[in-house]
Amino acid sequence: MGMGIGWVVIATALAAAGCVFGVLVARAEKQGGNAFFWMLGAFGAQLMALGWRGELRGQCPLGDLGEVCLFLAWSLTLFYLVTGSTYRLSLLGVFTAPVVVILQGVSLLPGAFKAGVDKAVSVDPWREAHAALSVLSYGALGLAAVAGVMFFILDYRLKSHKIGGGLMQGMPSVSRLVTSMARIAVLGWVILTMGIGAGLLMVSGVFNLHLMVATITWVLYAVVLGVYHVRGLPGRQLAIGLTSLFVFSLLIFAKL
Amino acid sequence: MQLVCLGLNHETAPVEVRERFALSDSALDRETKSLVSYEHIEEGVVLSTCNRTEYYAVLNGGRGVEQLESWICEQRGYQGSREGIFYSYVARAAAEHLCRVASGMNSMVLGETEIFGQVKQAYKRALEGGATKTILNQLFQRAFGVGKKVRTQTSIQEGATSVAGASVELAEKVFGNLEGSSVLVIGAGEMSRQTAQALQSRGAASVIVTNRSYDKAVELAAEIGGRAVHFEGWEEELAQLDVVIAATGAPHFVVKAHHIEAVRRKRKFRPLIMVDIAVPRDIDPEVGQIEEVYLYDIDTLQERADEARKRRHEQLKLCEEIIREEINKARLPAVND
Repeated sequence: MGMGIGWVVIATALAAAGCVFGVLVARAEKQGGNAFFWMLGAFGAQLMALGWRGELRGQCPLGDLGEVCLFLAWSLTLFYLVTGSTYRLSLLGVFTAPVVVILQGVSLLPGAFKAGVDKAVSVDPWREAHAALSVLSYGALGLAAVAGVMFFILDYRLKSHKIGGGLMQGMPSVSRLVTSMARIAVLGWVILTMGIGAGLLMVSGVFNLHLMVATITWVLYAVVLGVYHVRGLPGRQLAIGLTSLFVFSLLIFAKL
Repeated sequence: MQLVCLGLNHETAPVEVRERFALSDSALDRETKSLVSYEHIEEGVVLSTCNRTEYYAVLNGGRGVEQLESWICEQRGYQGSREGIFYSYVARAAAEHLCRVASGMNSMVLGETEIFGQVKQAYKRALEGGATKTILNQLFQRAFGVGKKVRTQTSIQEGATSVAGASVELAEKVFGNLEGSSVLVIGAGEMSRQTAQALQSRGAASVIVTNRSYDKAVELAAEIGGRAVHFEGWEEELAQLDVVIAATGAPHFVVKAHHIEAVRRKRKFRPLIMVDIAVPRDIDPEVGQIEEVYLYDIDTLQERADEARKRRHEQLKLCEEIIREEINKARLPAVND
């Protein structure tokens, strides 16, 4: 596999470094943000790795477990890089990096990347768009779940009056975290909508099990976000909704 | 030429002596002018704050500090005991002391920032009055640089050291920014006033005051630019609030969980921070069980303030090192000679 798999290793190492340095910076009670540059490096390496798989397949690289995990890790990194700085959630990188490391770790497992794949002869653009947009949306929804985990930690520490320490210094406020969590989830949900829409236009035109599960996930996210925006939800309940939905959908898709 | 600093502060002089030496804004220029017109004094800056009065002077001959001390006492008409009241520093020690003062290391509240502006103001007025020349100009400029460095490179000013400040810090942890936030103050005592003002200073837009005695609520509301409501009506305000401060003398809980439960939907479950600075407590601890409520009592706030003070004290050694290093590098006349 040559340098191809090497890019995945590099991306994993950079994300791991982002995590370690981010934690060290946070523990030293300095402003976070160092994870950003490591994650930026990881993003570059992920692009190279995806390019390698895309070249091999002649289509969007989502044909095996390794590619799906890599694509998801790339998407998560992309949304972190965009929203982490937009919402000034510097510590989000420290929380995102371990998820990226785990996903890429899975893709590095023996057999995760299929060897000797056949180059696609013809490509259905709607199928490609469906797969790419769906995985991209899971990157955003995954980031919302990561923000949810941050919320659990912040909420627990504020409620139990454990307010000191470097981690708390770098944490955003409760309000900002709740708002960011909801906005990132809405973004993911919009992309998922487009992904499902593209799926319905696929040449095969079959509303298969895969598409059905995606639609159920879409409905569940719509309910949580709808309730949050219309009726209001305590931050903790929103965080529970977004993290459990993400884990649930990830597990379901892994089974399919 | 001899650089001298002579002064008194909260550590050396009781308030009745400090007030004798304190100078009003209008008297400061006159005092600086008199100082430099006194024999053997080439340059001078007079600093006067609520906790200290200090004279920085460049002497040329004469009886030095002793002569300056006599002159100051004469000026202020002070005939009491001078023993232990004044402190003095000469040459390098005077320069280091000024840096400590500008950095807030010598203040009653360690690391406070207001003193930096006060030193700057004192220097500016002396400069404009023609009371400073090369030695004090270089010294004060250096001290401002050192003061900035100490504050940026150490944690000397980090963390709130008062209960009111700790309340603000916690509110900011929940809301990030207090701009436009609404505050309800239950009780119209001193602690309520301090905490409400601290929140206002960080941008709280509206402050509602309620008290069993409505007159007192009106009085406090007028003082801080808020709005008073009758004690029977505070619950109606809950839906629009972000922060509740309770500091009454009531022997029982004033705010109970059912008060908050009643308005949760109306508030769309927005976060609410509740600060209970009363003893006995005003807010039922059960209120803290509500998901979006963050409840803090006086012990938590006091603990945070104590921790911040302790952290600031731990920074003193590092601050001293910065000052020593900067003075060494500076090559100031009458200091490093």
